[in-house]
Amino acid sequence: MDYFVLQATNGAIIGVIYALIAVGVTIIFSILKIVNFAHGDLYMLGGYTAYYAITFLGAPPLGALALSMAALFLFGALVERLLLTPLYSERTERKDEYGLLVTFGLAFFLRNTALIVFGPFPLRPRSFVPGVAHLGSLTVTWDRIFAGALGVALIIGLLYFMHRTLWGQALDAVSQSRESAAIVGINPRLFNSLAFAVGAALAAAAGALIAPVYSLAPDMGVLPNIQAYVVVILGGMGSVVGSIVAGILLGEAEGLFTAFFPDPTRALAYTNAFGVLVLMAVLLVRPTGLFGRRHVRME
Amino acid sequence: MRGLHAYVLAAAGVCALVYGHLLNPYWMHVAIIAMFYGILAASWSLLAGYAGLFSLGHMAFASLGGYTSALLVQWYRLPIPAGMAAGVVLCTLVGAGIGWICLRMSGPYLAIFTLGFAEIVRITFSTEDEVTGGMAGLHTAPLFRAATDLPYYYTAFGLLVFSLATLAVIARSRWGLFLRALREDEQAAAASGVAVARFRTLAFAVASGFAGLAGGFYAHYVGILTPSVGSLDLMALLVVMAVIGGMERIPTAVGGAFGVEFLQEALRAYGQWRLVLFGLILLGTMRFARNGLLTPAWLQFVRLGEIRGPAPARRGVGQEGSGP
Repeated sequence: MDYFVLQATNGAIIGVIYALIAVGVTIIFSILKIVNFAHGDLYMLGGYTAYYAITFLGAPPLGALALSMAALFLFGALVERLLLTPLYSERTERKDEYGLLVTFGLAFFLRNTALIVFGPFPLRPRSFVPGVAHLGSLTVTWDRIFAGALGVALIIGLLYFMHRTLWGQALDAVSQSRESAAIVGINPRLFNSLAFAVGAALAAAAGALIAPVYSLAPDMGVLPNIQAYVVVILGGMGSVVGSIVAGILLGEAEGLFTAFFPDPTRALAYTNAFGVLVLMAVLLVRPTGLFGRRHVRME
Repeated sequence: MRGLHAYVLAAAGVCALVYGHLLNPYWMHVAIIAMFYGILAASWSLLAGYAGLFSLGHMAFASLGGYTSALLVQWYRLPIPAGMAAGVVLCTLVGAGIGWICLRMSGPYLAIFTLGFAEIVRITFSTEDEVTGGMAGLHTAPLFRAATDLPYYYTAFGLLVFSLATLAVIARSRWGLFLRALREDEQAAAASGVAVARFRTLAFAVASGFAGLAGGFYAHYVGILTPSVGSLDLMALLVVMAVIGGMERIPTAVGGAFGVEFLQEALRAYGQWRLVLFGLILLGTMRFARNGLLTPAWLQFVRLGEIRGPAPARRGVGQEGSGP
């Protein structure tokens, strides 16, 4: 029973992290209409930025998080300007294909560059909050609690930004109709950059929060990237709330799957396969997801 | 003289056969691996370049074909060609199944779905280590017991020529036209009478079958098979090869595979930097030369020997170089 509760708690925390990554995929999708295949690598970069901020600059936890988000925000805007502008040109044919190949190529480039720059060996920064918390019979490290709590705070902040601020509403307007948004004076180009940058910053936050929990490695983004697709497709492409619900659902489902899998030595490996299986099932049964919004459906 | 390029290609092929034994063992290995990637790039180009179906599971099919053949040979003492044939049949069937399941999915959804399929295949092969040897690898029976790799070289060459010929026939036939119509606009193609479901399934089945063939050969050539054959990294390398060469034509995709494999060996001293370089070239190609770096050269090559001067009026603009 204790093991079960522990897995459920861990599942909820990981679910929050999944939600953070997936919300970024959703925002980028709803504005740029592309699936970002490099999102897991932005998450990886975020984790490493936080690691270096903590190890070499001696930054405090929140400072490292903020620094990593800011760095990836700028990096995201730069990538969007350099590589994704053909998506808005009338002359580009088959934009789906372009977005897919460019982000896939970017992922390949970033992963291999990281392998050289950061090295292949797993790194782990100093704990944000050392020690463990005893909640009844449950033992959870403070790092996990910190990651979960800050993840929830960031998601609340994002929801506030999307629904209560002028910029967030402008972002939503661009996602609904680029032309109509332009007519009322919203510059779509600015919001393209903003969407990609915000997505990258959220991925960086997830990476920074997870850094003290799991080790950092150049290929750490591959599986979370797939989990993010599971979440986004389960929750519905373009739906921020859907992504949050689905992220926590997936984290829980995976945690419980690990707890109940009959062969414990293989449970961890098949947990990842389980998430992918959920993804394939959802794609088959309900391609628009559980909370899909009609206007952001992929053609 | 039209069609001169075909003779040039044939001559180059004959040279490769006749002078193959002059290669030193190292470069012979490189050539064999390059031909393995050539088959994969060509079949992926039929799927992604012609039909517009971006499968990220192509290497997973190669690994499926390889493991099928290796395990059947190990369990039932099948002759190796029969094992490879079984791998091809299985990959064709599974490919048709995946193609059929994905009928409703377009672009990125299809890519995500096939990525999921590839991950499941990889995770299963690496976790079921009692059967497959897991990450330590599966020892496979060698196809030939010879002192040199020369028999493998000829076999790879034969398989490559067979694959290219088959794929070229498909690409040049009405089927190829239908596949390209699917890529441009599925609804318009359906309205013009293309059986969309049948041809999408067919493209997947054929391409996966060839991936299985390449995988089966690879398994019995290298002698040890690991789940990393089906990894995302190798899939990315295959995408790099096809896109840099030009994925909308089979010969340019194969040229890309040869070029990248050659560069990978020639620049071996730079280690990991090679992959960074390939990533940069891929991004540059997508951004500035989407048709691929080899496509202009290939179009020139196809026109080799044609009479220069005023162009014949009746040839349409889009006509040239539309075949492989």
